[in-house]
Amino acid sequence: MAMMNDSRPHYPDYSTAGAVQHSFNPYADNGGSVVAIAGDDFAVIGADTRLSTGFAIYTRNQKKLFKLTDKTILGCAGCWCDTLTLTRILNARMQMYEQEHNKTMSTTACSQMLSTMLYYKRFFPYYISNVLVGLDTEGKGCVYSYDPIGHCERSTYRAGGSAGALLQPLLDNQVGFKNMQGDAFEKVTKERAIAILKDVFISAAERDIYTGDSIVINLITKDGITEETFPLRKD
Amino acid sequence: MMQMHPSSMNMSATDWMDAAHSTGTSIMAAEFDGGVVIGADSRTTTGAYIANRVTDKLTKVTDNIYCCRSGSAADTQAIADIVSYHLNFHSMELGTQPLVETGAAVFREMCYNYRDSLMAGILVAGWDSRKGGQVYSIPIGGMCVRQAVSIGGSGSSYVYGYVDANFKEGMKKEECVDFVTNTLSLAMARDGSSGGVVRLGIITKDGVERRVKLGTELPKFYEG
Amino acid sequence: MSSALCPEIPTPGFSFENCKRNATLAAKGFPTPKATKTGTTIVGIIYKDGVILGADTRATEDTTVSDKNCQKIHYLAPNMYCCGAGTAADTEMTTQMISSQLELHRLYTGRVVPVCTANQMLKQYLFRYQGHIGAALVLGGVDSSGPHLFSIYPHGSTDKLPYTTMGSGSLAAMAVFESRWVPNMDEEAGKKLVRDAIAAGIFNDLGSGSNVDLCVIRKDKVDYLRTYDEANKKGIRQASYKYPKGTTAIFPNKTQEYKIEVTEETVTPYTMDTSS
Repeated sequence: MAMMNDSRPHYPDYSTAGAVQHSFNPYADNGGSVVAIAGDDFAVIGADTRLSTGFAIYTRNQKKLFKLTDKTILGCAGCWCDTLTLTRILNARMQMYEQEHNKTMSTTACSQMLSTMLYYKRFFPYYISNVLVGLDTEGKGCVYSYDPIGHCERSTYRAGGSAGALLQPLLDNQVGFKNMQGDAFEKVTKERAIAILKDVFISAAERDIYTGDSIVINLITKDGITEETFPLRKD
Repeated sequence: MMQMHPSSMNMSATDWMDAAHSTGTSIMAAEFDGGVVIGADSRTTTGAYIANRVTDKLTKVTDNIYCCRSGSAADTQAIADIVSYHLNFHSMELGTQPLVETGAAVFREMCYNYRDSLMAGILVAGWDSRKGGQVYSIPIGGMCVRQAVSIGGSGSSYVYGYVDANFKEGMKKEECVDFVTNTLSLAMARDGSSGGVVRLGIITKDGVERRVKLGTELPKFYEG
Repeated sequence: MSSALCPEIPTPGFSFENCKRNATLAAKGFPTPKATKTGTTIVGIIYKDGVILGADTRATEDTTVSDKNCQKIHYLAPNMYCCGAGTAADTEMTTQMISSQLELHRLYTGRVVPVCTANQMLKQYLFRYQGHIGAALVLGGVDSSGPHLFSIYPHGSTDKLPYTTMGSGSLAAMAVFESRWVPNMDEEAGKKLVRDAIAAGIFNDLGSGSNVDLCVIRKDKVDYLRTYDEANKKGIRQASYKYPKGTTAIFPNKTQEYKIEVTEETVTPYTMDTSS
């Protein structure tokens, strides 16, 4: 019986494997980038359509823009399953608002609700880069960007997602006219905003492996929302 | 048998360095009346991926000695190359074919001295005029023992019973070939990291005869 | 240790002097610098008259593309080329060094070096470093005994095969080979097959991208087809990004005038006296 308890012979030369810690990661990084630019009377947002994991592509045709109201759109990049959950709950909350108050939510109200919804999950966050765009109550274009736990910031342009860090400095220069001198500053037009948006995605597809295939662009004006797609490289 | 980098399914697809050496294989060697039969499956895996489906794990050491390799591909190939060098040098000095026992001793020396850094389970088989057909088993720690029949690799654990039930000493050549083919087919059917074709080698006083049994030609057993 | 008299000449071989320091830093939680790993698709096939090697041209650092058009098919000898995947520096230095040894071997023996010699040199070198040299190679060439193709793994194991793929895109490329490769293909069909295998890697594996490079090795002639196919066209720029004058901030400048006196001198050549 003593043999049974200590049946493994002792070899001083050999080491046996110690305790191994196993873990489960509930998050996935499905990549994707979102870019938004707002003007005085418009807001434009674009997101690529590649959904991927690791070195593999799930689909080349996944829309990442969600129409919340006729003048509010949310763009999401990051963990796709979190995006699905967040947008589902968001839609339900907006419907409840509509039925309680008998009016659709304003862009600013949407932005505030998104912030609280994200912070509600402070200790098990939604792993998403959110960019919310729309027209405010005065009809002015606005962009709200978030961190995963609900910090919200209003601005006029923003790049988020896997190529966010690559694109933001370019927008700072071309839309925000940062690091420029003299009379260079002029307000970006709708046309220029869309052209810049396409160009930054072309550049992102060159250098970021998670950005590519195509982009879906939504333009919000007082006349409503128009949608456009634009092809990117597919490697 | 064999190999390194983890499956390309995850982010570390190019991180060959962190890979564990996986060891899936089915190899065997059996003495018969007048020689030995050696056999192996042909699968080389890298995680879940089959890096080579037509591998030849029966490696020539000298004209009369072969080895069956299991464990890390890199380690066993390196050992076989080095032993082959030593034995060829030895046979030049000797002027005759080296004894199978000598071949096994050189393998054992390598496997024992470098036991901490090697992952190698080797069967050495061959024919010499002194003792006829012989099989030597050198498992992972570097022990060496002569056996009339020996099996190795991860697939072997499924067929110990079959071997014990069906092996007879002093079989005829074709009888032994069928025995080896059947054993390996059974092992390959049960072991996920063994498969492909069955490669065979028959070593007698006349030299070596190589055969291949394609996956479609393998004997079938209960598959329910 | 280098010589005391001439300390600036390093000793040959790798230097391991920072290993201990780096281990200490890593233990204290400092990140270790990452080597460029080429998420790659590299392939090779044997066809009727020789060997065709193929590679994509993307080099990545984590998720960023660090080189959009790099060369992954390396020269080894006039009759041998070698595709490299894994750690970029390792594949380059390893093939360069073996290439130089093969040239010396050719000079010494006065013969075309056999492909199996290169294979043996590479596997012995990689085995010696126990996988720490992260080079995964596809070696192809033609010698007196015909065409040969080997795949060599970082730990030093090798396979001799009629068609092979390596790198992160190897599964995508192998799917193409397993369905379409046949023995004794002609050159056009072979090139098409290799192109399609690389393209499968370029499009379906995020670690691979940009263009297709090919290298066709025959008994008497080698074609290195750099950018054989541009699998992806770059997007066309939509807007102009010219900066208006005065946009760039500069330090205040100052101009100083220099008075220069110019003297002109003509030099005429004269014939040298070579009579004596």
